[in-house]
Amino acid sequence: MSVAQPVRIAVDIGGTFTDFQILDQRHGRVMAWKAPTTPADPSEGLMTGIRQAAGRFGFALADVGLLLHGTTIATNAVLERKLAAGVLLTTAGFEDVLEITRHVRRDIYGLAPDPFPCLIDRDRRFGVAERMRADGSVEAPLGDLSRLMERLREAAPEAIAIGLLHAYANPAHERALRDAVAAALPGVPVSLSSDISPEIREYERLSTTVLNALLMPVVQRYLAKLEARLGEDGFRPRIFLVQSNGGMCSLARAAEQPARLLLSGPSGGALAAERLSRRLGRPNLVAVDMGGTSFDVSVVQDHVIGLVTQGEVDRLPVRLPMVEMRTIGAGGGSIASVDAAGRLTAGPRSAGARPGPVCYARGGVEPTVTDANAVLGRLDPDFFLGGAMALDLAGARDAMATRIGAKLALSTEAAAEGVLRVTNAQLAAAVRLSLFEKGLDPRAFSLLSFGGAGGLHATEVADELGITEVVLPREPGTLSAYGILFSDLVQDIARSRLYRAEDSHAAALAEAVAGLRAEADARLAADGVPDSQRAVEVSADLRYRGQAFELLVPWPEAPALAPLLARFHATHRARFSYAAEGDPVEIVTLRAAAIGRLDKPEEAVATPAESGTAPGSRQVWQGGAATAWPVWRRERLRLSDTIEGPAIIEEAFATHVIAAGWRAALDPEGAIIARRIAA
Amino acid sequence: MSTLAPPLGPIEIEVIRNALTAAAAEMDITIWRTSRSTIVRELLDYSTAVFDSEGQNLAQSARIPGHLNSMTHALRALLADHVPPEQWHEGDVVIFNDPYCGGQHLPDILAFKPVFHGGARIAFVGTLCHHIDVGGLVAGSYAAKATEIFQEGLRIPPVKLIDRGVRNEGIWAMIRQNIRKPDLLLGDLSSQLASLEVGAAALTRLANRFGAAAMIEAGARILDMSEAGMRAAIGRMPDGTYEFEDFLDDDGIELGKRIRLHVRLEIEGETARVDLSGCSPQVAGPTNATLASTNAAVMFALMCCADASLHMSAGCYRPISVTAPEGLVVNARHPAPVAHRIAVSHRLLNAMNGALHQAVPDLIPAAYYGNSYVTTFQTVKDGGQRDVLVEIEIGGSGAHPAKDGVNAYASGMHNNSNIPIEMIEAQLPLTVLRYALRDGSGGAGMRRGGLGLVREWRIDSAHCFFTANMDRFDHAPYGLAGGGPAATGALVLRREGAESPIPPKTDNLKLQQGDVVRLETSGGGGFGPPADRAPEATERDTRMGYA
Repeated sequence: MSVAQPVRIAVDIGGTFTDFQILDQRHGRVMAWKAPTTPADPSEGLMTGIRQAAGRFGFALADVGLLLHGTTIATNAVLERKLAAGVLLTTAGFEDVLEITRHVRRDIYGLAPDPFPCLIDRDRRFGVAERMRADGSVEAPLGDLSRLMERLREAAPEAIAIGLLHAYANPAHERALRDAVAAALPGVPVSLSSDISPEIREYERLSTTVLNALLMPVVQRYLAKLEARLGEDGFRPRIFLVQSNGGMCSLARAAEQPARLLLSGPSGGALAAERLSRRLGRPNLVAVDMGGTSFDVSVVQDHVIGLVTQGEVDRLPVRLPMVEMRTIGAGGGSIASVDAAGRLTAGPRSAGARPGPVCYARGGVEPTVTDANAVLGRLDPDFFLGGAMALDLAGARDAMATRIGAKLALSTEAAAEGVLRVTNAQLAAAVRLSLFEKGLDPRAFSLLSFGGAGGLHATEVADELGITEVVLPREPGTLSAYGILFSDLVQDIARSRLYRAEDSHAAALAEAVAGLRAEADARLAADGVPDSQRAVEVSADLRYRGQAFELLVPWPEAPALAPLLARFHATHRARFSYAAEGDPVEIVTLRAAAIGRLDKPEEAVATPAESGTAPGSRQVWQGGAATAWPVWRRERLRLSDTIEGPAIIEEAFATHVIAAGWRAALDPEGAIIARRIAA
Repeated sequence: MSTLAPPLGPIEIEVIRNALTAAAAEMDITIWRTSRSTIVRELLDYSTAVFDSEGQNLAQSARIPGHLNSMTHALRALLADHVPPEQWHEGDVVIFNDPYCGGQHLPDILAFKPVFHGGARIAFVGTLCHHIDVGGLVAGSYAAKATEIFQEGLRIPPVKLIDRGVRNEGIWAMIRQNIRKPDLLLGDLSSQLASLEVGAAALTRLANRFGAAAMIEAGARILDMSEAGMRAAIGRMPDGTYEFEDFLDDDGIELGKRIRLHVRLEIEGETARVDLSGCSPQVAGPTNATLASTNAAVMFALMCCADASLHMSAGCYRPISVTAPEGLVVNARHPAPVAHRIAVSHRLLNAMNGALHQAVPDLIPAAYYGNSYVTTFQTVKDGGQRDVLVEIEIGGSGAHPAKDGVNAYASGMHNNSNIPIEMIEAQLPLTVLRYALRDGSGGAGMRRGGLGLVREWRIDSAHCFFTANMDRFDHAPYGLAGGGPAATGALVLRREGAESPIPPKTDNLKLQQGDVVRLETSGGGGFGPPADRAPEATERDTRMGYA
């Protein structure tokens, strides 16, 4: 970013709102903005928002040097099945693998199952006569393709996925097919499994490749619209997109590998957690984002966010590096109910934005978590969304009384408290599982809570977990965009090949790692990243011989294998309570992250209020009685203010509850830090 | 139950119930991530659960119904007859696989650990893994021709594998010496132990927070709640007596002699009585079941009919009684072989569903494939290196009154994954030549049954010993309400261009390099008259090649 273009914008396009965070290097301030999303062409809402922000914050469109773009466009296209009509070419005899899937059913007691989603129907999956072996040798060469090309032309696909057995070991047949297809059907986008996910296990590789292929036309259309905006009023920034791994990629890369955008949206929040971890000096954070329908958990350990090498979208595996995140269906809109056996449950059914909670008075009749907060007085019916929407408290009370209280013989308030306790227990269980999977103890973590509903539950969820510090960042509603603002370019490269982790293989491994590094460097050069800004991080997937799942271990600088093995045994012990140090270890996949560092302009510290105002108060129910709780306004907090729980802190798009036994204060960075002070 | 315990409201119960389910899930993740054999780590043939101090199941992982609903039976038998309550100490782990001590068949090793709090036993945690081989006649320990349990492999009575925190090395050595793939089995057993540790830690955390008395009371209330839900569900079924029978082809010894699974289901008010006295006497071959398997099938069938939000625990079993006289195929007497008990279990579930269809016709689908297609390849390379592959394949689900059956859907008593072809070929001298849906294998009907599968393996080693144990080659999965039956299965050897059938119950068939084995599995039965099928559904079946 040059001095001539001192403004950097991060944008996160969600289903309802497009969020902006803007950094103007001339004064270093970070500013937040929101505009409605325009689903038909999201670039329109993006430009509208940028123009509004430019007017409001005093910059010209020509001042914008960098646009960092997070988007749910790929995810939504999958969820809504607005995908290209594609075909699959695969090894003959295996055309049905995509439909057969991996079998295991999730609802084990269900009598009327739905099939797993399959994105390409059987009449559009074509077998190719050829066969590779696991070691990459050719068992049967690629035969004559003329008849296949004829059938392809008849099918007139909008996208083509190519996934052949063992293509991770030898991509030659896939590449030859690609060339044949390019000649026969010029201009039709093609995805090769050996490019998209060159790793062993055919179904997962096929699933990822098919998703990628069917997304290519969708994402390319959007990117074309976005690029067409360039030049409007001198708006000519470099544009990068946020990938599922939290790194940025170029438009060209996103157009080729759109499956890498599938977790783009939530990864912004994880990036923000990583940045806040450094700025606030808290190496271990568990970040929770609670909105209307879902609760996303990610873990920052030693200042670094966790990545996994496989996730899923709508029951479809996506085997690409992505931010490790656990999502459960619990949010403000989660519906509370009492079932036939007398159990009180909350979620996963959600009232969503429409009809929404009963108190929104948009036709919702079933009580939700937000209604429980309203009934108890934790939400101010006259200051919801900064006063933009009045809450129907009587409606919420009535729904809570008739649908919960009456069935459990509880008062309306006791029913509402019950809904919150059940919800908090679910939230805590999700956090605990996320930490548990890594062998981590919640007590070593601070809880970073954001999203519209996060602050209402944070201190109480922390109590469930034994966590004694809660961080409530500023601008909790646009935090994902804040995370995007300071991220880097990242390209992941993976190579699957089985090695014994023994000294006899050390030379071959060193050669393979050198090859990976060279490729990573070449890719960074291609993206125009100068030498001084490049970094390559190598890691490896290791397992004990016989295991199916690998642990990701950073590659040591030293050439010997001993330090690598020591790290692996230690990680295995931490996660699974044992290590088998005498057992043979295998290296399954070598990975490189090619990182192009974007410069990090200084962020000016937010200026807290100089003269505060005394808090107001209102009646809040807890433990069967209503008492007056102080109610603070966040923007009027001073560094010297101390907030003793129970108390409420309100801001335009969020409300925070500081539970009894907690004390909160403003941090110089602008975050509110709450600490447990009594057992 | 202590009278001093603070009163537990519905809210506290729900909080504890969530935590117990999360504990079972944490145990599940531990096995999944650390296990070694393909049968555990890829096929996912294992389960984890949490029990109260009397051995009643309180919470389950979402794994194998046939395991989960047998474990209460197993643990209670253990407490009653083998390791009485006072002999369990902190740090103990008891394992066993003996079907005649409450288990099901020898490959399934159960491991239980007591959880103590303040000196009192407050709970148990348990795991069950299907191990790749426990010795015996054939690799994989799924012999089709055994006539005594002694031929089926190493039989482990209830023993303390860990005694007050100390490993009983003699037991480990004894196991190691008697099995074909000791590194895999002992690796998987270590995963089971790690899982128990994790589960015990989770329960201890909970007890520290709520107190032991509250935990015990919550357990009792969770069981009551499940019971109430199950009673209500049975209460919604019309009273009456419903009978149905289905058949297994044979026991592999007396070929062609069918085995009857007869169910007489009586619904009366909020209770269900299931009389299995009409089932065939136990058979000579391994197609027999012990009560753990039989109870699991009956309970599972009725639990599926309940309100979807029912909490699955041993409380669900209370309104259900099972009559299964000893000496029948559903309650075999020692020393009958039982390796193929899953076939009895599947067919019993098919028969239960046939009876339930008469009571609740809108809920019950036509028969699923009703079978675990177990194939075992023991490859022997020229240098003598032996490797074992156990595969368990599936078929199609039965058509439901409201929708078609699902193609290739893990249904009923088991819930396995498949093994990636690339993983097999990277590790063993075998090549998979085809893996496809089997056209026309689903039963016709207003709703079509799901399709079965075709899988072909080529032998690439000098020698290979092949074992198969499967059923539904004579007796097809039935249709309901006028729907047609699904196709029966097929197992074929192709050698030098000529094809010949392989008996579905085969031990140690010697194969040579280049031989190809083809398995074709059953689909699910159809529902409703085929003439009532919507024309566009028929057109789609034709276009997709399903019909």
